[in-house]
Amino acid sequence: MIRIRGMHKSYSTGKVVTEVLRGVDLDIEDGEFISVIGPSGSGKSTLLHAVGGLDSDYKGSIEVDGKDLATLSDAELSGYRNETVGFVFQSFYLLPHLTCLENIALPAVFKRGAQMDTQAANARAKAVLEQVDLAEKADALPTMLSGGQRQRIAIARALFNEPKVMLCDEPTGNLDSKTGAAVIELFRTLNERDGITVIIVTHDPRIADSTPRKILVADGSLTEVDDADPDAEADA
Amino acid sequence: MRAGRMFRVVAANLERSRNHFMLASVGIVVGIATFAFFISLGLGVRSVVLGKIFPLDQLEVVPKSLDLAVGPLALGGAEVIDQSKVEELQAIDGVEIVYPKMRLTVPSLGIGGKEVLGADLRSEMIADGIEPDLVTEDIDGERPFRDFDDPESPDYVAPEPCETDADCGEDRYCGNPPAHKRARRNDDAEPAQVCRHYIPIIASEHVVELYNGALRRAHGFPKLNPDFVLGIKFDLKVGASMVSASAKDSIIREKGMLVGFSRKAITLGITMPIGYTKRFNVAFGKPEDAQRYHSVILVVPEKDDVAAVAKAVEDLNLEVADTGAEQAALLIAIFIAVFSLVSAVIVGIAAVNIMHVFFMLVYERQHEIGIMRAVGASRGDITTIILGEAAALGLVAGLAGILLAFGAAAGFDAISANYIPDFPYKPQSYFTFPPWLIASSLGFSVAFCVLGAFLPARRAARMQPAAVLSGH
Repeated sequence: MIRIRGMHKSYSTGKVVTEVLRGVDLDIEDGEFISVIGPSGSGKSTLLHAVGGLDSDYKGSIEVDGKDLATLSDAELSGYRNETVGFVFQSFYLLPHLTCLENIALPAVFKRGAQMDTQAANARAKAVLEQVDLAEKADALPTMLSGGQRQRIAIARALFNEPKVMLCDEPTGNLDSKTGAAVIELFRTLNERDGITVIIVTHDPRIADSTPRKILVADGSLTEVDDADPDAEADA
Repeated sequence: MRAGRMFRVVAANLERSRNHFMLASVGIVVGIATFAFFISLGLGVRSVVLGKIFPLDQLEVVPKSLDLAVGPLALGGAEVIDQSKVEELQAIDGVEIVYPKMRLTVPSLGIGGKEVLGADLRSEMIADGIEPDLVTEDIDGERPFRDFDDPESPDYVAPEPCETDADCGEDRYCGNPPAHKRARRNDDAEPAQVCRHYIPIIASEHVVELYNGALRRAHGFPKLNPDFVLGIKFDLKVGASMVSASAKDSIIREKGMLVGFSRKAITLGITMPIGYTKRFNVAFGKPEDAQRYHSVILVVPEKDDVAAVAKAVEDLNLEVADTGAEQAALLIAIFIAVFSLVSAVIVGIAAVNIMHVFFMLVYERQHEIGIMRAVGASRGDITTIILGEAAALGLVAGLAGILLAFGAAAGFDAISANYIPDFPYKPQSYFTFPPWLIASSLGFSVAFCVLGAFLPARRAARMQPAAVLSGH
């Protein structure tokens, strides 16, 4: 369970300080499928990064399974990113000099505690590659793939350590609508079949509409969007 | 496992940035090559200067000079060291062993060399005697250096009578009994001839160097290879001299054979087992001359003990002969220090260049660093990867620098061998590359590369992954 309380986050540009999140609260249960919507610069990605332990420069608390992320050391927070969450970004962020298999197995390089040998890491990478229907691309470099294929490789990388939470920052932003829909369908399958909590930041109302729960980030606060309330969504 | 995977990440990064790294490492390669080249040159020169010209592990102790200059003359006291002083020298802390040396105190003439030079050389001989045990390591067993005429030696064999050399075999000759003095005018009765061993003679390599470097040119003689002059035989006339006023009334006719070279031999002259010089000196002097030495070599294995030993020698009213070793050692130390500093400056500047390259690479790879952080890399992991790349770069650049130094040294030696005229002590190689120099060159290279990459690695580790992945 993810529990956010009184979270503040601001950015400074010279002498100008912009507070994007002003003491927000949010609870997310295990296995939820949530979309986060809102205008550009409203703090959607900021919220996602903070939940994922990528950004620890905030006020307030974010607890995941009872652990307050703000109290974790860098090594503990790295372990949390490695094992508990999986990130999917709009720009894929695959390492261009590594093959698809090597990209997917990248989390094994930084795994703490019980180590995974090369054979096991490759076997696991192949398994998740099959999950995203790209088994034949194991030895291909990312530059040889289409946008949709790259995003599926990025999803496979996020799935490598069997995360409890998938954090997706505009995962369809660089894909055509058909490919985007297929990627969202993949998330839905992972959510329903494997019980993975999926949080998607998106500008696409169709994606947002397809999720059971929508959170609107605007003017520094979070609002649950009720599909029955047309005003709230219009603000997004 | 984790280290192995991390190593593969480092290797992959090195591979794809090899052009950057090759350019960045030029300064390190040059700096390390300079370091290895000049340090090895310094060590090589030191081994020649302090090993052959001024052996630093040996101190020659001589009686304190009380010379008084009177016009062209220097009037001095009795210049000998007796047996009790030898024992006191042996007792000094830091002295491993003492080599008493007894100079031949009568004039002598050496005649020989025809078999090698084509003509006999005739020369006044300065001769020293030393304990045979002290040069055992310098002499091969084929031609032993020992006193064959010492009746108290367990190996002594009484000489048998003979009439010609053929009666005595290949290694001996038919001659006068040991230390048999006869009048110069041949007016005494000829003694019964016996089979004699040649007096084993050793010489300092200085003698050959001096001959090859200067003397042979003046006389048009061939250059000598020290290995091939061993076994050369010559006549030795003890008591005879080219200076007629110095010649004794009687002479002892002996034959000598060159059996080896040693740093412990007298610098200019010949050295024989001390028993021979004792017998010659007693034959021409008094029985107590057998206990009067002219100098003593002290072996002091630890350089740090040399000063204390020298002080103890002074306290015994003796003195250490000034060989110039200290000044030579100081000059070489300064040479090594100056060039170490120069190479450190070069490598230091190269490290700054390495730092710039790593800053640029960290900037170029900020998204990669961000994604590594996103999949679980800690700040320590990022630092390890970047410093690992720097260490690998340092290792490769260090190896290249050492190879360059080897190449330059080989080139220098080749030029010296082919184009620089011979001079005394001209070495075959001016360079010494001991294992510690290779190791320290590599360590130096790795350390400076890691030092250069330290700030970029710290910046990379401190990057906020959220900021680089979202562009904030």
